[in-house]
Amino acid sequence: MNEKISQVLRSVQKPGRYCGGEYGATIKDKSAVKARFAFCFPDTYEIGMSNLGMRILYGVLNREDDIWCERVFAPWVDMQEKMREHSIPLWAHESGDPLTDFDIVGFTLQYEMCYTTVLQMLRMANIPLRADARGESDPIVIGGGPCAYNAEPLADFFDCFSIGEGEDNLVEVTKLQIRMKEEGRYTRAAFLHEAAATIRGIYVPSLYEVTYNADGTIAAITPKYDDIPARVEKCIMHDLDKSFFPEQVVMPYIEAVHDRIMLEVYRGCIRGCRFCQSGMIYRPVREKSPEVLNKQARCLYDATGYEEISLTSLSISDYTQLEPLTRALLEWTDRNMVSLSLPSLRVDSFSKELMDRIASVRTSSLTFAPEAGTQRLRDVINKNVEEADLMRAVRTAFAGGKTNVKLYFMQGLPTETAEDLEGIATLASRVVHEYYQTPERPKGRSPQVTISVSCFIPKPFTPFQWEAQDTMEMLEEKQAYLGSKVTDRKVRYTHHDAKVSRIEAVLARGNRRLGAALELAANEGFCFDAWDEFFDYEKWISVLERTGLDPAFFANRAFGLDEVLPWDVIDCGVTKEFLKRERARAYEGNTTPNCREKCSGCGANRLGGVRAVCPTGCGGAK
Amino acid sequence: MKDNELKFSLPMLDAPRTARVRFRKVGNLQYISHLDLQRTFSRVLVRAGLPLWYTKGFNPHIKMVFGMPLPVGAESECEYLDIRIEREMSDEEIKDRLNAELTHELAVAEVYPAERHFCEIAFAEYEYTVHTAGADEALTARVREALSTRPLTAIKRSKSGEKEVDLLDFVHRFTVEATDGALIIRAVLAAGEGNYLNPDLLITALREKTGILSGDPMQESYRILRRRALLADGITEFR
Ligand code: SF4
Repeated sequence: MNEKISQVLRSVQKPGRYCGGEYGATIKDKSAVKARFAFCFPDTYEIGMSNLGMRILYGVLNREDDIWCERVFAPWVDMQEKMREHSIPLWAHESGDPLTDFDIVGFTLQYEMCYTTVLQMLRMANIPLRADARGESDPIVIGGGPCAYNAEPLADFFDCFSIGEGEDNLVEVTKLQIRMKEEGRYTRAAFLHEAAATIRGIYVPSLYEVTYNADGTIAAITPKYDDIPARVEKCIMHDLDKSFFPEQVVMPYIEAVHDRIMLEVYRGCIRGCRFCQSGMIYRPVREKSPEVLNKQARCLYDATGYEEISLTSLSISDYTQLEPLTRALLEWTDRNMVSLSLPSLRVDSFSKELMDRIASVRTSSLTFAPEAGTQRLRDVINKNVEEADLMRAVRTAFAGGKTNVKLYFMQGLPTETAEDLEGIATLASRVVHEYYQTPERPKGRSPQVTISVSCFIPKPFTPFQWEAQDTMEMLEEKQAYLGSKVTDRKVRYTHHDAKVSRIEAVLARGNRRLGAALELAANEGFCFDAWDEFFDYEKWISVLERTGLDPAFFANRAFGLDEVLPWDVIDCGVTKEFLKRERARAYEGNTTPNCREKCSGCGANRLGGVRAVCPTGCGGAK
Repeated sequence: MKDNELKFSLPMLDAPRTARVRFRKVGNLQYISHLDLQRTFSRVLVRAGLPLWYTKGFNPHIKMVFGMPLPVGAESECEYLDIRIEREMSDEEIKDRLNAELTHELAVAEVYPAERHFCEIAFAEYEYTVHTAGADEALTARVREALSTRPLTAIKRSKSGEKEVDLLDFVHRFTVEATDGALIIRAVLAAGEGNYLNPDLLITALREKTGILSGDPMQESYRILRRRALLADGITEFR
């Protein structure tokens, strides 16, 4: 860290966010490496340090002798002020060097509301905001993560995107840049062209022409050159047992949001909830074997000293080897005083046995996600959970001494009626009732059921990608209606801000034209929009208006089934035909079996994958 | 992969013993708070594979007792941590194992059987390196005078609230010199339980009284380094 930054740390909150010097950080001799990669997380240090993807990619890049990857986080507002005051440009955590010293600057895009922070970080780094304004000596700016699946709103600001799992292609991109520089044929344009033409999963937005219809919808997205793929197929790691695993973890001194071992058990999800983007874009499901997981967990424990292991995956109880895995883990975790937690349990898998074994369940509160208040609507969204499952799960929990239950729901789902909303309140009351019906409940205590209701946001690559989001007025009206139906004093009702959800929908389904609004937002100082205290709806509406954009066009319009979607240029494995079929089934109220029961031919199996659920060569391939 | 299971095969001690760890906390790590340091050590001790003694009871945990507090923004060569070990392991091995899990900015200097209680620490010796405009003989004299003329007032915060104190009540002895454009102040300050001076307060008071460090914060800087912990005589080093 340089002296300038060090002195400033005397006058900011939580200086531990910036001081670096962590055990496990990679320090290399910058004169001995051929490429420097700045891996940026567009949020605070505490949040970024909890991100598993960042841990993996940091390790993957640093495994290469000629690459040095460093971390960059968004400085909090008090630090930003100091940086402006003393003209300190955004620096990388390990070396303290400014980002303009780097060859590649990568951003992981985990949620739409981080976009303004991304742009603010570019500004703090003195890197020209627009890709077309960057010169030959500026770094290449690359994006990745779930939001890269529709990165069109950011297309003006990024040189390229890595689509899918970046373990391989980020290294390939960096190596290509090294090679071209060594061969003396590096120019930004030549590099981006070659990357797009030769490296899987690399999307270079400037190499595509987007034309629009008079009504503002997209007419076509066409590659500008013959050797540029018409659609960019995402990358996946085929065999997770063999894919890179970070044995060394950077240990934050200050408390990260997830300060524990995160053991990634499998990727993908067999469920296919129709609103859920993660359930689609991470397909196909690929599992790690319990032997490898046990070894990796042990290795992480030895490398970190964390007292908790969290088995992370979209729905942990769907792991086919959960029993052998937990058995193998418990053999050494118990005597080392390490606890296990399973954060994504489904109600239908919640049992007394699990509760006894697993620490997360030892706390007094439990969380379940029925998502909708009636069976009809749960069938529409393909959340294959029955009320009886939920009741059985809470009864087990109450009998085991729990008093607090938190239930997650979504409002504004397609086909939702007043009855469905009322169903949320009814379901919560039934859970309260179940408490009093459970003879083994904790004596003399009363239950607390919290319902947390978020707003439906239509997301790219889901069966509901074409749906209109409820208008804000409708969302707020429904929130009030549901509030009026919650009369049980043991039920606490909380809901998300409809305004944030609306802007999120605009960005999620946005096209390149949103770039103008984001640029204006950046110029007006927007930052940390994922934080309630900084999000300002009126300002968002104002920048959209001033750039001639109608938020309703993106959020509240039903997209045509034949319309060219901004993200059609990306191939996430799951086919559009499958999504359309799923949408039709939703409107018929038909559920779809999960991948383990029966393959529904989503198309993701053609990407391959080892220890995957997909039957090879099944109807999945178109 | 290191052998973290080894600890289970070591012979049990008749009774758990206390090992005193003296470590430094310098450079970047001066900005890590005490709470964060505690959490860090709880993991370092585990990673190092030490045969730690756990408290008995419903929620077993390891025992860690730290010496005198160190404010954020001050460095130190003499931080103390007492840990409890229940199986045989030499002090030298404890030190090596800990250092394998630490960076040079938080390295262990020594592990040894504790000789005295932390409550016997009465003073600490600090070295202030002040890079300030015009660090010459004249300024040295001014600082020396400030450190000799009562009262040198400052607001001291404690659990019981704020109060104005004369810092010289807490200064046991000091020297001031100017070298290489920097002012070096060596001071022995009260550091006992209930009679502890935050070493940063001295900078605050001197800034007000002598005008040091009141220029551009990007040009001027200072560093506080705690060198030794001392007993009530102000001379004997704490062990
Ligand atoms: S191809 Fe079949 S089994 Fe594989 S993810 Fe798609 S639907 Fe599931």
